[in-house]
Amino acid sequence: MTTASFGSHNWGMVVDVDKCIGCQACVIACQAENNIPLNTQDRVERARTISWIRVERYWEGDFPDTKARFIPIMCQHCENAPCEPVCPVFATYHNAEGLNVQVYNRCVGTRYCANGCPYIVRFFNYWEPVWPESLRNHLNPDVTVRSRGIMEKCSFCVHRIRRATRTARSEGREIADGEIQTACTSACPTSALNFGNFNDPNSKVSKMREDQRHYTLLDQFGTDPNVIYLAKVDPDKKVSVGEAASHG
Amino acid sequence: MKLNRREFLALTGKTAAGAVIFAACGLPERELIVQSPVDLPEDLVRGEDAWYATTMGDFTTGDGVLVRVMQGRAKKIEGNPDHPVNRGKATARYDSVLQLLYHPDRIKEPMLRYSKAGNLVGVSWDQAESRFRNALAGSSGALTVVTNPLRGHLGSVAGRFAQKFNGKHMTFDPTEQGVLHCAVKSVLGQDQLPTFDIANARTVLSFGADWLGTWGSPAQFGVKYGEFRGGSRGYLIHAEPRMSLTSAAADLWLAPKPGTEGDLALGIASVIVNEGLVDGSNVQAFLSAVPGGLRNYDVRDVAVRTGVPFNRIQNAARHFADHTPSVAFGGGSAGAHTNGSFNLGAIYALNLLVGSVGSAGGVTPNPGSGIDGVPASATGASFQSWEEELAQWRAGNVETVIIRGADIVHGMPNTVAIREALEHVPNVIAFGAVIDDTLDVADLVLPELTFLESWGSDIPEPGPGYQVVGIQQPVVGPTVSQDESGLISDARGFGDILMKMADGTIGSTMEQMVRRAISDLHSSGRGSVSASTPALFTKGVLQRGGWWNTGTKGARGVTGRISNEATSANYSETASLGEGDDFHLVPFHSNSLLDGRLAASPWAQQSPDPISSASWSTWAEINSKEAEELGIKEGDVLLVRSTSGEIEALAYPHPGVRPGVIGVPIGQGHHAAGRWAEDRGANVLSILTNEKDSQTGALAWAATRVRVQRAGRRVKVPKFEGNVEARPVEPGFPVLVVGPNETAEAAKEANHHEYQKSLFNDDYGSVDHE
Repeated sequence: MTTASFGSHNWGMVVDVDKCIGCQACVIACQAENNIPLNTQDRVERARTISWIRVERYWEGDFPDTKARFIPIMCQHCENAPCEPVCPVFATYHNAEGLNVQVYNRCVGTRYCANGCPYIVRFFNYWEPVWPESLRNHLNPDVTVRSRGIMEKCSFCVHRIRRATRTARSEGREIADGEIQTACTSACPTSALNFGNFNDPNSKVSKMREDQRHYTLLDQFGTDPNVIYLAKVDPDKKVSVGEAASHG
Repeated sequence: MKLNRREFLALTGKTAAGAVIFAACGLPERELIVQSPVDLPEDLVRGEDAWYATTMGDFTTGDGVLVRVMQGRAKKIEGNPDHPVNRGKATARYDSVLQLLYHPDRIKEPMLRYSKAGNLVGVSWDQAESRFRNALAGSSGALTVVTNPLRGHLGSVAGRFAQKFNGKHMTFDPTEQGVLHCAVKSVLGQDQLPTFDIANARTVLSFGADWLGTWGSPAQFGVKYGEFRGGSRGYLIHAEPRMSLTSAAADLWLAPKPGTEGDLALGIASVIVNEGLVDGSNVQAFLSAVPGGLRNYDVRDVAVRTGVPFNRIQNAARHFADHTPSVAFGGGSAGAHTNGSFNLGAIYALNLLVGSVGSAGGVTPNPGSGIDGVPASATGASFQSWEEELAQWRAGNVETVIIRGADIVHGMPNTVAIREALEHVPNVIAFGAVIDDTLDVADLVLPELTFLESWGSDIPEPGPGYQVVGIQQPVVGPTVSQDESGLISDARGFGDILMKMADGTIGSTMEQMVRRAISDLHSSGRGSVSASTPALFTKGVLQRGGWWNTGTKGARGVTGRISNEATSANYSETASLGEGDDFHLVPFHSNSLLDGRLAASPWAQQSPDPISSASWSTWAEINSKEAEELGIKEGDVLLVRSTSGEIEALAYPHPGVRPGVIGVPIGQGHHAAGRWAEDRGANVLSILTNEKDSQTGALAWAATRVRVQRAGRRVKVPKFEGNVEARPVEPGFPVLVVGPNETAEAAKEANHHEYQKSLFNDDYGSVDHE
């Protein structure tokens, strides 16, 4: 597992949990954009759904002091990704732009990568995907339809990155900050999800990750994710500074 | 350079070298799909796409969207960044509409029922139009056009068509908002819903309306909420008996007893006035709108009546008054009571108390329509009007009913016996893209174009504070079926058919009507698009998805008064309902299905409810502690019974519901709605009782009390919760929460110690933790 030497881009995301309202706009936008198979009732009941991005909801407290906390989780595109070295056929690898990438036609479905991922964001196709009849019309031709027996996961909408890169190259210019929006960031009504280039110190995401609320999920595992979270704010939280200081 | 297939394959086989060769020959790069060992094809980009701007018709309150089209097929719907309402953002519902466009059960051709007892059989458009004309011939003065609340040109066409045949245009919204419109009119003097300047407010106080989920314009409100939470971070207080998305986002959630929202608002006002938190002039303005004064709203009494703890009411009042600008608004279940008008009147009057009417961060008025004769505001006809109308149907006084966009069979309570009323109407003509419960009983079913295939317009409501006209244009043509046997639907536009049936007396086509309106906008010389010729202007308007004029703002209206009558709510009776426990039923819009209009879409069906994470079903939310006391467990099939009927729902206990309340999502329980929705779940609207708002006659759809009993069966709730093991930041702390000015590091550290303390109990302090 090596850290890639990046070029001009290191794509990443900043998730402002304080702005996430749990509305699921990102989830459906991702389903539509990435030709994700339908999560039928049977698959939901058997816990065999595929959702490249999910919004987890946690309860805190009892009525009337109940809080529902939401947090969107997608592939963290780790710099030190546990899923990469375990793949026997190099179907998952780290590219030069910070993406943890899945090459579908290499994958043989060992599922080692899913076992290794602490974020549980890799999904196995237990069945051949089926879109009844005319619904195939809305499939996105930019995104490969994955067959039964292989893994899939959030790609940071790599096809959008490729499209924008080609357009910028053909026009002889750099990709502008904000020019590339993944399907989820584009949909997110509150701008809780933000996508951009961490290699550009002036990009929106680079500035956002300087916020004192920034953290990464499960950082004790040293995965060095390219998804940065900004903590939820509770203005009425009693901050136990003394507690932290005395045991620090 | 000419190549045959063999030469092409040989060259591309050289991978990177092949790319160089072709590039040198000028072959476009995108035509090469070459797997290189150094530049792997993570995914492919094929062909060019086009993005067309349009507006979303029946599925939003006027959001502007961009539709991605490739090879003549719509692929994706996103927010239009140019559009002033939703500013490029979306909701979870946008893409689901694509599945109505390409639904395998789309109505393929007109269908006719030769007798009420017969089956629907396919007919040609000529036969269908002939039947339509015959129906109209004998219906002068005995015709009703039923639609969803329509703004824009379609609303105008429906109204004028009904008028031409001396008929009536009735609008239907199962969770009608007539009370809201009346409250806004009576308190703020506004004909249109005003703009809630959430982005610039420091405190937002909302009641009943799940504005971040399903109420009003969630995409618009979501954008504003994002801004509200940025910078100096505003404070959100929300009052609703169950936890909706808005309750979940709130810093302070108040969960009043259903129907006491007006009490709560005046209790808050009472604290503000008694503590002298605002200027005397504001108090005078408020009291002139609330002539009954605040004598009966001592905060301690209000706490008892509403069930909201005294200190919470006090905190809400102080925040609202001290951290201005503040804005108060309400709707949804807060207005759906027998005292709905009083509730909403009291809520909107709070804006007078903090001087936020017409000012930044408050409630700002919206102007009228930018196009003459085209409605800028619409709401459902009151339930009382509907009862009167259905009596006419039953009496045989209505010959023809034309229905579009309103599933009245699904949406009306059992009490009105809508199916039976329709049987008395000789000609029921219904339009739609996918079959629904109303189309299923119609005599003539006409396949309708979706908004992605037809012309139209919409005036967003609420607008952004200035004139906006959204233009709807066809972004795809007719779709050929996969087996190339014909079109997936030989559909036509509702407006176009009405105009044809009126022999051109109200216009020729929707396209022509919309183009003329654009031309008139050009002549006005105002607005967001400037062009030298009408043709260029039209092009500009279509490219941007509409026209807006920031120069024409709404004018502040004359402040009225709220009524002192019916200040407390009445509910339906449960005494005769047999065994079980009494609950207050609070129906709520499904986050993905809304009132059921998106039920046919599998994406909408599979979308997890944000609170319960359930999908594909109808569940009942009850307080977890109360459920424990009653022995109710998740997945228990509950019989939810009112005086109007009974439904089954799966129990989903959670701590975000007020005890005594049962929340059931609207949207399921269709007998006909395509393969994914048919006979799925239960229709909670059917068991509503016929309580009405005392002032407007609107259906008090949150005033039903029910008796709940276990059916003795338990099934697995189809939900996403638990499908993935929670991997929290620290066990017990799944989402990192910081206090004011606290860093994430400090919060994690504190969480860690708290967790360790919970493991070691009292021993924790005695060991070295370094």
